[in-house]
Amino acid sequence: METQPHSDATQREGGTIYHLRNVVLDRKSEGVSFRLNVPSLQIRQGEQIAVIGESGCGKSTLLDILAFIAKPSDIDSFRFRPNLADSPTDIGALWDKKQLNALGDMRKQHIGYVMQTGGLLPYLTVRDNINLSRNVLKMKKDDTVDTLARELGIARHLDKLPGTLSTGERQRVAIARGLAHQPSIVIADEPTASVDPFAAEKIMALFMELAEDRNITVIVASHAWRHIKRLGLRRLAHHTSRSEDGRTTETVVNG
Amino acid sequence: MKLFKTLRLATKDYLHEWQVSICFVLALAAVLGPMLVLFGLKFGIIGGMIDELIEDPTNREIRPVSSARFDDNWINQMRARKDVEFILPRTRSIAATVQLSSDKADRFVNVEMIPTASGDPLLQKTSAPETINQIVLSPTAARKLNIELGDQIQGSVTRRYLGEAERVELSLTVVGIADADAFTRDGAFVNLELMEAIENYRDGIAVTQFKWSGSEAPSERTYPSFRLFSRSIYDVAGLQKALNAVGVEVRTKSSDIELVMKMDRNLTMVYWAIAIIGLFGFSLSLGASLWANVDRKRKELSVLRLVGFRTGDIVWFPMTQAIYTAVLGWGLAIGLYQAVAITINTMMADQTEGQSVCVLLPEHFAAAGVVTVLAAIISAALSGARAARIAPSDGLREI
Ligand SMILES: Nc1ncnc2c1ncn2[C@@H]1O[C@H](COP(=O)(O)OP(=O)(O)OP(=O)(O)O)[C@@H](O)[C@H]1O
Ligand SMILES: [Mg+2]
Repeated sequence: METQPHSDATQREGGTIYHLRNVVLDRKSEGVSFRLNVPSLQIRQGEQIAVIGESGCGKSTLLDILAFIAKPSDIDSFRFRPNLADSPTDIGALWDKKQLNALGDMRKQHIGYVMQTGGLLPYLTVRDNINLSRNVLKMKKDDTVDTLARELGIARHLDKLPGTLSTGERQRVAIARGLAHQPSIVIADEPTASVDPFAAEKIMALFMELAEDRNITVIVASHAWRHIKRLGLRRLAHHTSRSEDGRTTETVVNG
Repeated sequence: MKLFKTLRLATKDYLHEWQVSICFVLALAAVLGPMLVLFGLKFGIIGGMIDELIEDPTNREIRPVSSARFDDNWINQMRARKDVEFILPRTRSIAATVQLSSDKADRFVNVEMIPTASGDPLLQKTSAPETINQIVLSPTAARKLNIELGDQIQGSVTRRYLGEAERVELSLTVVGIADADAFTRDGAFVNLELMEAIENYRDGIAVTQFKWSGSEAPSERTYPSFRLFSRSIYDVAGLQKALNAVGVEVRTKSSDIELVMKMDRNLTMVYWAIAIIGLFGFSLSLGASLWANVDRKRKELSVLRLVGFRTGDIVWFPMTQAIYTAVLGWGLAIGLYQAVAITINTMMADQTEGQSVCVLLPEHFAAAGVVTVLAAIISAALSGARAARIAPSDGLREI
């Protein structure tokens, strides 16, 4: 277990947002099976977490569990407490009762999600794409979108359709959308995977800066530890093992 | 309103993918347009035939084949029936002629007399004679006598009475000239009273009204025949049956009417068969394309789920687009129909005397629209349910 709490982050940390115990997700296809096992995981408010690992080790799967978009096959305990004033929500129970809308409401309230590949709607302008999460929450129009766009350097693209943007620009739009509704947690799945390393580092730094300014809990997946390390994130420990015939892979995450 | 947001997004998507949307609309119009033309032809042709049948009152006429004895009582009973529009007794046909002459023409014309009264279906456009001295002439008789409305003419009736030839003269006023269709030979529509008087005279019975001498009238009068018109062409067959049942054999145009109605029934059946197959095919193709669309948009729909759109909102996405397709396709189909209908109608105008061959009423268009939108909603509901089942994680990892 190698946890590296950042000194600044320690000060900002509050209570536990995520509490997971013995959460397992099994995936099988064509006789090959993958299992993500989380014996214990705690994430506290304001923490900046990095999930680092080789391709296929289950980073996206873990983030999907944390964003309530993938249903674990087995849950001992999965509690979510975005507001320390409120009592924690039992996510396991919501999954059991198939309360997809309740999970969705929880997600749209508290979580911003930045996808590995853009995930922008091609028929909406950049501005409308960024506004989408705000719109759904019926948030009032203010200068949030313009500020974010300025900070991310995409202000001049606001009225274009995503199809006319470069990949890196699209990725920045996706980041803007993840932050626009002022969530308390942002989950980003390799937000810079599709751009060159130089741009990736720049975008990532920008993203972390924006998140820090807004006191947002951040969970990022990445396979490049080097520049993530420089940004001062806590690396989530995990161990991947493969059976001898290579047919089953298991990743165990602790933290 | 989340629903409104979904509508807005679905609209933007529909416009953004305008090429695909146009294809859907064209596909729908390609099925619906020909169906409208087909129905327009059926409705126009059969409708025209039925109109012709209805317009011509002779199609509603029911004539006894042989003479019998009908009394006033029987005639009144018939008149009371709901399916009878007009009934009048006839006098014996050999007694029902009169020789006419006019100052304007130097010839005599022998005409058949037809009893009439107000409400006579054959005299819809002219006034019926109201008094015993009034007469309506058939157009041929009027021409031969060189008659105009309001002219005075002389009628003369002859008889052999007590071994001697006798003749009486009548002065008559022409109050109308009948339609050519009403009576094609030389004829005169007259008051029943006049016919009875002339028959009495010929039979040697005294007519006090005209001071024609003869014997005393028998206590009860019977008639050998009658003029009968049913209320509508659809009543002809029933009336014919009822008359046959009481031993009165009649001649009608019921077989013509039956033929048209049978044709209508058969064509309607054929039309519905085609329409149902077409509708089924259309729903299937719209359903399939919407279904495939949900697949195509899996990622975008799961993005919507990701940002918090609920299951119920997502259903409206394909629903909205299906309704757009339905309404636009319907509009285009109507446009196609109008173009084809105008072409057909102008092409056929010479042969049909200007009557339209291809006709649809506004309610037909409305019905087609309602059916189309319903079919679209049903098939969209199915793919909408599928869209709603997309979990956010489903589409996000799309390649
Ligand atoms: N829908 C699925 N069905 C079956 N197996 C899946 C599915 N999605 C992912 N997997 C498997 O689960 C394992 C983990 O996948 P995951 O996407 O979490 O990897 P990752 O760490 O995010 O990889 P990368 O760095 O390439 O994004 C992989 O071995 C993959 O083959
Ligand atoms: Mg991944």
